Amino acid sequence: MSVLAEKTTPAVAVPRRSFSEFALRLRVSGVLAFLFITGLIFSLLTPQFLTVQNASAIASNAAILSIVAAAQAIVLLTRNVDVSVGSMMGLTAYLTADYAARHPNVGAELVLLALVIGLVLGTINGLLVAYGRVSSLIATLATMSLYRGFTYMYAHGQEVTSNKLPRWMLHSVDLRFWGIPMLVVICILVVTLVATFLRHYPIGRRIYAVGSNPLASVFYGLRIQRVVLLAYGLGGLLCGFAGLLYAARVGTVTVILASGWEMSSLAAAVIGGVSVTGGSGTVIGAALGALVLATIDNGLVLLGIPEFWRMFIQGSSIVAAAAVDVFIGVRIRKALQGQRFARRAA
Amino acid sequence: MSDNLASLPALRVNGISKSYGVSRALVDVSFDILRGRVHALVGENGAGKSTLVKIITGIIQADSGQIFVGSNPVRFQTPIEARTAGIGAVYQDPKLFAHLDVAENIFMGAYPTTIAGTVDRKTMYERAALGLRQLGLDLDPRSLIAGLSVAELQFVEIARALLADLQLLILDEPTSALTPAESERLFKIIRTLRDRDKSVLLITHRLEEVEAIADDITILRDGRHVATRPAKQINRAALVQMMVGRPIETLFARRQSEGLGKEILRVERLGLVGQFTDVSFSLRAGEIVGMAGLVGAGRSEIAQSLFGIRPPSTGRVYLNGRHVVPRGPNQMLRLGLAYLPEDRDGQGLILPESIVDNVTLPIVGRLAHMGILNRASERQVAAGATATYDVKATSIEQPVSSLSGGNRQKVAFAKWLATKPTALILDEPTHGIDIGSKAQVHRIIIDLADSGLGVLLISSDLPELLAVSDRILVIAEGRLVSEFSRGEATQEKVMMAATQDVRGLAE
Repeated sequence: MSVLAEKTTPAVAVPRRSFSEFALRLRVSGVLAFLFITGLIFSLLTPQFLTVQNASAIASNAAILSIVAAAQAIVLLTRNVDVSVGSMMGLTAYLTADYAARHPNVGAELVLLALVIGLVLGTINGLLVAYGRVSSLIATLATMSLYRGFTYMYAHGQEVTSNKLPRWMLHSVDLRFWGIPMLVVICILVVTLVATFLRHYPIGRRIYAVGSNPLASVFYGLRIQRVVLLAYGLGGLLCGFAGLLYAARVGTVTVILASGWEMSSLAAAVIGGVSVTGGSGTVIGAALGALVLATIDNGLVLLGIPEFWRMFIQGSSIVAAAAVDVFIGVRIRKALQGQRFARRAA
Repeated sequence: MSDNLASLPALRVNGISKSYGVSRALVDVSFDILRGRVHALVGENGAGKSTLVKIITGIIQADSGQIFVGSNPVRFQTPIEARTAGIGAVYQDPKLFAHLDVAENIFMGAYPTTIAGTVDRKTMYERAALGLRQLGLDLDPRSLIAGLSVAELQFVEIARALLADLQLLILDEPTSALTPAESERLFKIIRTLRDRDKSVLLITHRLEEVEAIADDITILRDGRHVATRPAKQINRAALVQMMVGRPIETLFARRQSEGLGKEILRVERLGLVGQFTDVSFSLRAGEIVGMAGLVGAGRSEIAQSLFGIRPPSTGRVYLNGRHVVPRGPNQMLRLGLAYLPEDRDGQGLILPESIVDNVTLPIVGRLAHMGILNRASERQVAAGATATYDVKATSIEQPVSSLSGGNRQKVAFAKWLATKPTALILDEPTHGIDIGSKAQVHRIIIDLADSGLGVLLISSDLPELLAVSDRILVIAEGRLVSEFSRGEATQEKVMMAATQDVRGLAE
């Protein structure tokens, strides 16, 4: 542009770093502090916690969830939610495992198959939400049930046992890369890839924009429906991949594989600073959220604390994160529109 | 650009029409915006200014007519297309992404990219910093929008508009949230643009600003083009006259009210942070007090504050001589104040439900016996109300959604009057209803006042307000700026008061 070359002195006094900005940034970086504190508490409580072996176990457990949490985060960023993530994983895992059982010589095209199935399932969600204008919670609750139901129908009560799966598939996840479990390496790669996409590509920024302010998006000429469809498609793709990894990890693929993951992925994402009201958060945060959950899990097991506390922690972290979102959201709304005549009225 | 192109207008609006259902937002509007000129677009509430801007920038599509940029007819499908063609707009309420930083907001939809297709952040921050500096704004392009002041938001929007190579910048009420010093700096930018042969379309309700900066003025009224004149040829009185010269339909003029009753409502220095301040008035039994003002002046906010929807932050309210603190609609209804919201279908009625259920909703508690609803007495109340207000319906069990706008409004009246209030606030009660029903609604309002109710009538329809009210209060930018008695009020006086710049009064 350079329409205005005239040098002028600033007329607007600029207060740097307001509270809303501080809160928003803290919400994203807070997960690191949370992770540190949880780790510290557990290492004080039990000596078994802070060992290389245990850390490696925690990372492996967090790995697949971190991919699903990233998928959930992408959808949350657009102001929607996907509760069918577990069912997408389950269906993809079963279909790919079944395919592998029938084709013993199958190679890396199995990965492609998983990605395609995930993409199709995610796209169905996206079409329902973006173009069918069904509320995202209702639409994905329905597909959660549909996808799981289809898995049952297809399986006829059979499970795919590990001896039917190709050996390379089972072995690849157990490999170590400079001592780091392969699973962890893969997940770091995937999450980094997604993070790069969201942070550095214009279309990734649009995902943030659409969730941050749908009305403004219209004025900016962003195609909201396409962006939402893309978010769901990408989420499905990641869930498909995660489903395959999970099948490879557990070996035996049952029809209930990954049920309940909608809750874990949601908890991981919100603990990781992804706003449930859209527009704010990162997939790296969500992945770290998964690590927090895995750490808590692990610590609770080491301390012999009953399993249900995990659910308690998941539930309360979602409530707490949502409360923080509402609090920040109110301040943001006020900042954007609430004070039309404020400075004169005050 | 060749020389003969330079003589063409920057933008030509030719025969643009737009309807929403039966209501016609724009009718055959044509005018030119010349190159290197500041063009003001003025008109009353609902004159069609915003609709026109949305059509020019491609947010909505015109039903008919054409727009020319230079000599090319254009039909933008999205604001991005308009921007590419050199037309950018800054809207009244900041349309920004709170969670993203300043530079991203400026470049959203048109990022500078690298060869790899990624956002070129370095270039983006540099160009944003440069643009902001040229606007004289000391703002870090990396700060989040969420942390900025209203004025800063406005300037970010302007920076966004200017970073494209614009031929025409549209500013929709840009100064409503700015202090005088900030407005002056904005005008400086506008003048700089003009001196560079760019055009600016300025929508404002502050006529002082029009006089200060506009080269040409276009007046719209009821969706029709009234005139486009060089600013020098038109003074403020003439301008106001053209804005308000709305054809006066046959109205029920209120007969001179003889002897008002006791004071029902008294409001002292009422204020709500960020919305309105220092509003004082009173309302007596049998009196109709009109409240005039532009959209966004704070009239509905005052009403909703009195009704307890958004309780006031300062001031005192006396209802029937008692000091009350509005906390919620339930409490205010009990104390005898009722409010008919402007958004009748969204806030005033439950459309899928029957007339009976709507009318009796606020008083179900009273009609119930030991917690169980008495259907017979409900029907009795509803039947009485539909007869009183002449609701045209086949049955009182008919869903409200099947009624016409006018009849829906009558149901809304019946609903709130079933609570037997002593004071009634009506917010745009005749908005969007046909002329026949309008007259009936006026009749109802006058009858209610004659029966001893105090009525506060908020309306953007000046002839209506003048015909029905005993007194008229004018609200501008959250302040009560003028009061006119029935005898002294004219459309021109009221409009003149409503469009003044009140910022001087505030300090």
